[in-house]
Amino acid sequence: MQTRKNAGFIKWVVIIGVVLLLASWFVGKYNSFVTLSQKTDTQWAQVENQLERRFDLVPNLVNSVKGITKQELDVFTAIAEARTRYSGAQTTEDKVAAANEYQSALSRLLVITENYPQLRSAESFNALMAELAGTENRIAVERGRFNEVVGEYNAATKRIPGSFVAMIGGFKQKELFKADEAAQATPTVNFE
Amino acid sequence: MIKRLARSFGVLSTLICAGFFVFVFAYSSPGSPSGYVNDFANILDVDTRTLLEQKLVVFEQKTSHEVVVATIPSLDGDYIENYAEKLFREWGIGKEDVDNGVLLLIAPNDREVRIEVGYGLEGALVDSEANAIIQDYIIPEFKEGNYVNGIIAGVDGIIAATEGEIVSTGGSQKVNWEEIFFFIIFAFVWGINIIIHIFASSKSWWLGGVLGGGAGFVITFFGLFGVTFGSGVFITIFLAFLGLAVDYFVSKNSEAILKRLNSSGRNNGGWTSGGGFGGGSSGGFGGFGGGSSGGGGSSGRW
Repeated sequence: MQTRKNAGFIKWVVIIGVVLLLASWFVGKYNSFVTLSQKTDTQWAQVENQLERRFDLVPNLVNSVKGITKQELDVFTAIAEARTRYSGAQTTEDKVAAANEYQSALSRLLVITENYPQLRSAESFNALMAELAGTENRIAVERGRFNEVVGEYNAATKRIPGSFVAMIGGFKQKELFKADEAAQATPTVNFE
Repeated sequence: MIKRLARSFGVLSTLICAGFFVFVFAYSSPGSPSGYVNDFANILDVDTRTLLEQKLVVFEQKTSHEVVVATIPSLDGDYIENYAEKLFREWGIGKEDVDNGVLLLIAPNDREVRIEVGYGLEGALVDSEANAIIQDYIIPEFKEGNYVNGIIAGVDGIIAATEGEIVSTGGSQKVNWEEIFFFIIFAFVWGINIIIHIFASSKSWWLGGVLGGGAGFVITFFGLFGVTFGSGVFITIFLAFLGLAVDYFVSKNSEAILKRLNSSGRNNGGWTSGGGFGGGSSGGFGGFGGGSSGGGGSSGRW
C-alpha cells in the first residue's frame, strides 16, 4: 500500500516537473521575443530621430538654394510633399516609403546645387553640407542597425521550436528598412 | 577652395547613394587596440606616439572622454564612414551609457580621414566643427605628407572642442533583483529538502545561520549576480537570519520533520546554474569603456 502510494507520488512529481520545465522554457522564449521586439522598436525610434533631424535641417538648405535657383520648383515641391507624406504616415512601411521619396528628392536637389558655383563658395553653405553629410551618415548607421536587430528578431521568431512560441504569442515578422527600388539609380538632372 | 568644396560634395553624394543600399560593405578589424594611439599603418615615429598617448591619457583622466587615434593600412574598398562606425563599435570607444568617445581614423594609402564622434559628444563636436578640423588643421598638413603634424593638430582640435563638455559617469551598477529573487526561490525550493534534512538531523540550532552568512559572504566576496558590496552585506545579513530561523524551527521540530521526510523519500534535485559573469579582457591595455557612435562626425579626402 505504501509503495503504491509512493509510486503515484513520484509520477505526479515527474509530471509536474516536466510541466514546470516546459512552462519555464516557454516563458523564457516569450520574454526573449519581447526583449528583441522591444529592441527593434527602440532602434526604429533612433531611425525616426535621425529622419526628423534631416527634416529639420533640409529647410535651411532649401532656403539657401531657393534664392539662387528659382527654376527648380518641382524639386522643392517634391521635398515638401514627401515631408507631408511622412508626417501623415502611420505604419512603418509608409514611413519608409516617404523617407525614401524624400531622400531621392534631396539627392536631386544636390545635383542641381552642384552646378551653382556661387552657392558652393559660401562658407556657411559648406558647413551646411558637412551637417547634411553627417545627417545622412547617421541615418545610414541607424538604419543599418535597425535592419540588424529586425533580422535577429525575424530569425529568432522563425526558428523551430521557438516559432511555436512566436505563433502563440503573436510575434509577427517585421519589415526591414528596404531601399526604394526606383531610387537606387543615381539621380540625373538636365540643364537646358 | 572650390576644389575642396567639390570634394565635400563628392563625399556627400557618395553617402546619399550609399544610403540607398543595405549595409553589405566589407569590414575587417585591424586588431585590438593597444592604447589611445593605434598606428597600424606605421606612419608615426615612437616619440610622437608616446607624446600623443600621454596627452590622451591625461585628457581621459581629466574629462573621462576617450579620444582615440587609429591609422590603418587600407580600407579594403570599404567606405571610411562605414569602417569608422564599425571600428568605433568594435573597440567600444567612450564610456558606456555616456558614449563620450571620439575616433580619429586615418587611411593614408586611401588618402581618407574621418572624425567619428560618439553620441555623447555630438553636441560638443558638431559635424561642421569636425569638418573644419579636418579641412583646416589636418588636410593641409597631410597634403605636404606631414602626418605627424596633421594628427597632432587634429587631436588638439578635438580636445579643444570637447574639453568643456562634462558628462556624468560612474552611475550605480545595475542589479537584476528579479533574477536574484527567482534564483533564491528556486535554490530554496530545490535545496530545502536536503537542507532541512541536514538541519533536522544535526542537533545544533545555529548551523543554518552560519551557512546562510557564509553563502552571503561568498556572494559578496566574488560579486556574484552583479551584487555590489552594499547590497551584498544586506544579502549576507538576510541569509544569515533566514538560515538561523529555519534551523531553529526545524531543530525544535526535528522528530516530526524527519519522520515525514523519510516517509516520502528523499528528493535529490540538482539545479543548473545559468549565466556567465562577464569575461574581462586580457592583454596589457584594458580596453575602452564600451561606448558607441551613431555616425556623427565628418570625413575628408586629400
